[in-house]
Amino acid sequence: MLKIENLHVKVDGKEILKGLTLTVAPGEVHAVMGPNGSGKSTLANVLAGRPGYEITAGSVTFQGRDLLALAPEERSREGVFLGFQYPVEIPGVNNVYLLKAAVNAARKHRGLDEVDAFEFLTLVREKMRLMRMEESMLSRGVNEGFSGGEKKRNEILQMLVLEPRLAILDETDSGLDIDALKIVANGVNTLRSPERSLVLVTHYQRLLDYIVPDHVHVLVKGRIVRSGDKSLALELEKRGYDWVTGEAA
Amino acid sequence: MSSAALSKRLLDEYLAVRDSLPAGVVSAERRHEAIRALAARGLPTARDENWRYTNLRPLERARFVPAVSAAAAALPEAAVLPAVLDGFARYVFVDGIFAPQLSSPGEQTGRGLTVRHLRDTAERSTAPSGATTVRPVARALPTAVGSLPEARLALLNEAFATDTAAIHVSGASDAWQRVELIFIAAAGADAGASYPRVHLALDPGARLALVERHLSAAGGAQFVNSAVSVQVGQGAQLNHYRLQKAGVRSTWLDTLSAVLSADARYRLLAVNSGGLSARGTTHVQMAGPGAELTLSVAALGDKQQVQDHFALVEHIAPRARTEQTFRGIASGRARVAFNGKIAVGEAAAGTDSRQSLRGLLAGPEAEIDVRPQLEIYTDEVRCSHGATAGKLDKDMLFYLLSRGLSDEVAQRLLKWAFLEDVVSRIDIPGLRRQIEHDLAGQMADAASLKELL
Repeated sequence: MLKIENLHVKVDGKEILKGLTLTVAPGEVHAVMGPNGSGKSTLANVLAGRPGYEITAGSVTFQGRDLLALAPEERSREGVFLGFQYPVEIPGVNNVYLLKAAVNAARKHRGLDEVDAFEFLTLVREKMRLMRMEESMLSRGVNEGFSGGEKKRNEILQMLVLEPRLAILDETDSGLDIDALKIVANGVNTLRSPERSLVLVTHYQRLLDYIVPDHVHVLVKGRIVRSGDKSLALELEKRGYDWVTGEAA
Repeated sequence: MSSAALSKRLLDEYLAVRDSLPAGVVSAERRHEAIRALAARGLPTARDENWRYTNLRPLERARFVPAVSAAAAALPEAAVLPAVLDGFARYVFVDGIFAPQLSSPGEQTGRGLTVRHLRDTAERSTAPSGATTVRPVARALPTAVGSLPEARLALLNEAFATDTAAIHVSGASDAWQRVELIFIAAAGADAGASYPRVHLALDPGARLALVERHLSAAGGAQFVNSAVSVQVGQGAQLNHYRLQKAGVRSTWLDTLSAVLSADARYRLLAVNSGGLSARGTTHVQMAGPGAELTLSVAALGDKQQVQDHFALVEHIAPRARTEQTFRGIASGRARVAFNGKIAVGEAAAGTDSRQSLRGLLAGPEAEIDVRPQLEIYTDEVRCSHGATAGKLDKDMLFYLLSRGLSDEVAQRLLKWAFLEDVVSRIDIPGLRRQIEHDLAGQMADAASLKELL
């Protein structure tokens, strides 16, 4: 599904990722953990194609294609989804408009007709119930006036409606209380399937109690310094990042 | 052409046609006064502080004599006129002259609303049916018109005017009167100018919703110079929607002067998207205590368009409130300017004014000029203003791209959202739909945006 090899990335001339290698097979859930400043968000943004990141070496292959050669919108239409750490507010652009435009952009890319308006709304309503979102949020501006938790739920709603092949969730758990965390995790779990892969970028182990990963990686100073199964996350929780940063130094 | 030579030509053109201009619209004496005042002062030039963003070159080339419209009868109605709005009486003027065959006044009763076109008034001995309150014809515009240097093009209209839409709403009533005026410029600028002219008077307590549209017959390059005078009586309410969609090669100049009495409420909303060179001048006097003005302007410029607006709000009486909102988008090589001045006089204690002016640069060669000006001559006022000009927000753009929208659609969507602060204030659903479709069409050749509406 996703193959990252020896990825080097600079931001404002400073190297943030220094030779990152990671392979994600279909159906797998990978958690990328790490202390602040380790390059977690850079990884998420580079995969989604955000401008401002200079790739100096390495490659990223998604379903056999060179992902880095694709524009952000093409990545999305190919099935890559980024759940933002800080979803932006866009007053004046209606939530439901955006959802529909996004779905139709992906459908057009696959040679399909536009989605039927009634079926679409039925689907969106069903997913909103799952995310415990008020239906009135649909007619509001994108994330406009939403609380932190509502924004994160809205990200997951978009993911559920778009049904990506690869979802990268950047600190989706940050700023969520325990109830909201469960709702978000539940939403994510409904999407797990043998054809779909997930990369969870997170600082804390907490999220992984609810979305159980197949693999856990620890990112320190732009490199993966340790990989393991879910027990690695528990050990990190117990011993703190000093344990691995000390080793990496 | 020098300013003196231009004034001379203006005078010559006036002298050549003055005998044929209808006295029922403006008396010969007032026309004479107007042309004299204008010639003495000269037409505006780029050296005038509040005209520097206007494209004034078309004035040098203009033929000032009114275009004689033969087009009215032959005008392809369906192609030009927008769908009728529910409950609105429609009056259409072609090249500034009333066109009854295109109008649908509906059930205009004598219950407080009088709409007249003054061109015929002098020729008729009896008042039009339903006109229960006939007023002296000559009071078309207050004498103060054009005394402000920025408002001097109203004098040009006064000198050459060919007709007037005079609307009078009498009597306090909870019921809203609804009128739509459509001005179509049909004759090309080489045949002469078009002079739309409106006089609005609301008696105390009266209520009027007025939609005023300025359109062009397809493809032409017209010269339009309109003048609107507004009097809102004590406690009266006027909702005024002005839509300027002149032809893409047209020159559109406009002057609106309004006087608000005590506790009057004036909601003025303008959407300017047409014309090659457009300039609007708005002058509102808050003459009565507790008067309220909401001025909202959206302007859209693309290619070589110049959209310039100057608004002066004078707070003369105490405790009046002004809220000014401007949203402008400049694409291509367009220039979009808004110069909003609020002057608070000595007697205007308790004034509350807010200005929010924002421009969006949507092209590397586009220009935005937003300029708030405040002049305060008294204490105890609350005046706030904010003005910004900038490009599309990169984070918003990336968010939309990351959801699969094309760069083009994402940009259009964000431009659309930018205008929302003004467009969302249009509380007539049918009108709002029309404007949204217009704007979507203007911002998008593809149907991608329209489909979202």
